[in-house]
Amino acid sequence: MTPLENEIGALKKELINMWMLVQSQLDNAKKAMVQFDKDLAREVLVKEKRVNSFELKIDRDCENIFALYCPVAVDLRFLLAALKINTNLERIGDIAAGVAKYVIESSVNFDEIVLENISLLRMYDEAVNILTDTRIAFEKEDTVLARSIFKRDDILDAINVSAPNAITELIKKDLSSMPEALYMLSIFRKLERVGDQSKNIAEEIIFYVEAKILKHFESSRRKEDEG
Amino acid sequence: MDARIRIRNTKSIVFKSVVVFLAFMITIPLIVILVYIIKQGVMQVNWHFLTNVPAPVGEPGGGISNALVGSIIIVAMSSMIAIPIGMLAGIYLSENPGTRLAHYSGLCVDILQGVPSIVVGIVVYFWVVKPLGTFSAISGSIALAMMMMPIVIRSTEQTLKLLPDTLKEAALSLGVPYHRVILKVIIPCGFSGILSGIMLSVARIVGETAPLLFTAFGNPYLSTSITKPMQSLPLLIFNYATSPYDDWHNLAWGASFMLLMFVLILNISTKLVTRKWNIQL
Amino acid sequence: MEHSVVSATKFNAWFGDNHAVKDVSIRIDKNQVIAVMGPSGCGKTTFLRCINRMHELIPGTRTEGSLKLYDDEIYTMNPIYVRYKIGMVFQRPNPFPNLSIYDNVIAGYKLNGLKMTKADMNAIVEKSLTSAALWNEVKDSLHKKGTFLSGGQQQRLCIARAIAMEPEVILFDEPTSALDPISTSSIETLFHELKANYTLIIVTHNMQQAARVSDKTAFFYLGELVEFDNTKQMFTAPKDVRTQNYITGRFS
Repeated sequence: MTPLENEIGALKKELINMWMLVQSQLDNAKKAMVQFDKDLAREVLVKEKRVNSFELKIDRDCENIFALYCPVAVDLRFLLAALKINTNLERIGDIAAGVAKYVIESSVNFDEIVLENISLLRMYDEAVNILTDTRIAFEKEDTVLARSIFKRDDILDAINVSAPNAITELIKKDLSSMPEALYMLSIFRKLERVGDQSKNIAEEIIFYVEAKILKHFESSRRKEDEG
Repeated sequence: MDARIRIRNTKSIVFKSVVVFLAFMITIPLIVILVYIIKQGVMQVNWHFLTNVPAPVGEPGGGISNALVGSIIIVAMSSMIAIPIGMLAGIYLSENPGTRLAHYSGLCVDILQGVPSIVVGIVVYFWVVKPLGTFSAISGSIALAMMMMPIVIRSTEQTLKLLPDTLKEAALSLGVPYHRVILKVIIPCGFSGILSGIMLSVARIVGETAPLLFTAFGNPYLSTSITKPMQSLPLLIFNYATSPYDDWHNLAWGASFMLLMFVLILNISTKLVTRKWNIQL
Repeated sequence: MEHSVVSATKFNAWFGDNHAVKDVSIRIDKNQVIAVMGPSGCGKTTFLRCINRMHELIPGTRTEGSLKLYDDEIYTMNPIYVRYKIGMVFQRPNPFPNLSIYDNVIAGYKLNGLKMTKADMNAIVEKSLTSAALWNEVKDSLHKKGTFLSGGQQQRLCIARAIAMEPEVILFDEPTSALDPISTSSIETLFHELKANYTLIIVTHNMQQAARVSDKTAFFYLGELVEFDNTKQMFTAPKDVRTQNYITGRFS
C-alpha cells in the first residue's frame, strides 16, 4: 500500500464515521420528535458541533492530499467527490439539528398518530433509509444502489408536494394546533432536502466510480443512463 | 545533369578503392617480414639451439641460450624499475591534473618518450657504466627502464582518468581512507588498462638494441651476474648478422625469429588480456 | 526537548571565492525524512556534502560555523568516523564494478580492512539487502557482479551498502533523478520503511517527490535556508513568498 493509498483509505474511514454520526443525528432527532424528548433533542444539538469539526477535518485532509500527492484519475475523482459529499453530509447534519431545535422550541408535543396520518413518519423513515443506503453504496462502491436513490428521492418529493394539503386539513380541524402544524410543514421541507442532498451524494459516488457526470441532467437522460 | 552525377559516382568509387587498396598495402610489409624471418629462422630453432651458448668462431652448432637468458633478466629488471615508478607517477598525474608539478612532469614524460634510444644509452653509459667501471646488465636495465617509463606512465594516467569520479566518491563516502581508495578500488577497476600498458611497454623495449650497445654490451658466455656485461637477443642479432661467418648468420636468423615470436605473442596476449579482464563500468 | 541528530548553527561553506552556503541554521530530528529543495546552484548539494565532509575533498573549499552530529562537532571529529556514521547515496548508482553483489554490500568493511567472521558478514549482507528491499531479488546471485541489475536495483544496492555500515544518518543526493518512474516509486516506498531506523536527508530537484516522501522540507535559495517547516505546511501555505514562488513554478 503506497502512502497515497493509505491516506485515501483513512479519508474514506473518516467520511464513513461522519456519515454514521449524521445518520444517528437524524435518527435521534426523529426519536426526540416522536417521543417529545427535549433532552435527546439537546444532545443532538451538542453533537452538531462534532459534525462540524468532522467537516473541517475532512476538508483539511483533502487539501493536504492534493498538495502532497497531486493525485490523478480515480484518486482525483475520489477527492473531488469526497469534498462535495463532505458538504452534503454537513448540511444533513444541520437539518437534523434543525428538527431537534423545533422539538426544544415547541411547547406542545407532536401527536404520533397525527404524524403517522400525514405520512411524516413514513417520509422520515424513508429519508433515513436513503441516507443509510448512500453510505453503503459509498462503502461498497455500488453504483447500482446509488442509482436506486434517484427514484426513492422522487417518492420523498411526492410526499412533500402533498404536504401543504395535509397540513391545511390539520389546521382546519384544529386551529389551535397551528404552531405544531407549521413546524411539521417545515420538517416536511427539511426532509425533502435530505432527499436532495442524498441524491447529490449518489451523483458524486457515480462520478468517482464511473467517471460519469449525472448532475444537472434531466431525469429523462438519467433514465437513458440507467437503460 | 546525368553526366555530372555519373562523374561524381565514379570519383566516389575510385576514392573508396584507393583507400581499401592502401589499407591492404599496410599489411604487406608485415607479411613480408614475417614470412622471410620465419622461413630463415624457424629451421634454426631446436633444443640444442635454445640451451647452448654460441660456438667459437669456426665451430659449427651453438645456440643463443646466453642471449635468451640475458634478455629475460634485463627485461625483468627494467620492469621492476619502471613499473612501480611508472604506475605511481601515472596515479599522481591522474589524481592531480591541475597542479604545476603535474604539468611540468607530464611535459618531461612526453619529451623523454621522444629521446632517441641511442642517446639514452650514451647518457646511461656516463651515469652508470663509467662510475661502476664496467659494462653491466643493470645499466642496460636502467636504460631500458627509462624508455619503458613514459609508456607505463601515460597509459596508467589515461586508464585512471577514464574511470568515473563516482567510483572514488562511493569509496570515500564509506569512510575509506585515500590510499585504500587508490589501492583497492581505483587500481583494480583500471587493472586491464594498466596491464595492457605494461605489456605494450615491455614489447617496446624487448627489441631495443641501441641503448644496450654501451651498457649491457654483450657477453659470449651465459652470465647471470647483473654487474657484469650480459648478452641479449637484439645485441646478438646486431653483432652476428654483420659478421663474416655463416654459422653466426644462422644464429642471428634464429634469434630474430625468437624475438619476433616473442613480440607477436606479447601483443596478441595484451589484446586477449584486455578483453578478458576488462571491467564493465 | 528532542535531541537533534544533525544541527547547524550559522554554517557557511565556500568554493574558493564563491560563498555557496550562507549562515545556515537548522535542527534535524531523529527518524525523520527531511527533503532539501531549491533551484540549481542554491547550495543544497554543497550543504549536504558538508554534513559528511565530502565537500572538503574538493580543493579550494572551506567551511565556517557549527555543524553537529548529536553533540559532537563534525569538523573536529575524524572524517573517517564521520563517514561511518553518516552514509551517502549518490545521484548515479555507483556499485563497485569489480566486486560481486555480496562484496559490494560489505565494501565498507572490506575496503577498510575491518575484520569480521564469515557468519557476521553473511548476517550483515542479508540484513542490509532486506532493509533495502533487494534480498529476494538477488539472494541467489550474491556472488555475481552487479552488472545485470537494473538502475533501480543498483541504486538499492548502493543503499544496502550504506546501511551495512549502520549509520545514524543517510544522505541522498538526488537519488532517483537517473531512474525510471517505477524504480523511483520503489525507492520512495523504501524511504518510508528506512525512517524507522535512520534519519534521512534527501536533496531533490523534484518537488512532488519532496512532497510525497518527507516529513519536513527545507527550501534553499541563493545559499540561504529560506524556510524549514513541516511538509504539509510548506505545500499548502508556505510562509515565505520565495518558497511559494518556487513551489508554484513562478521561477525555476
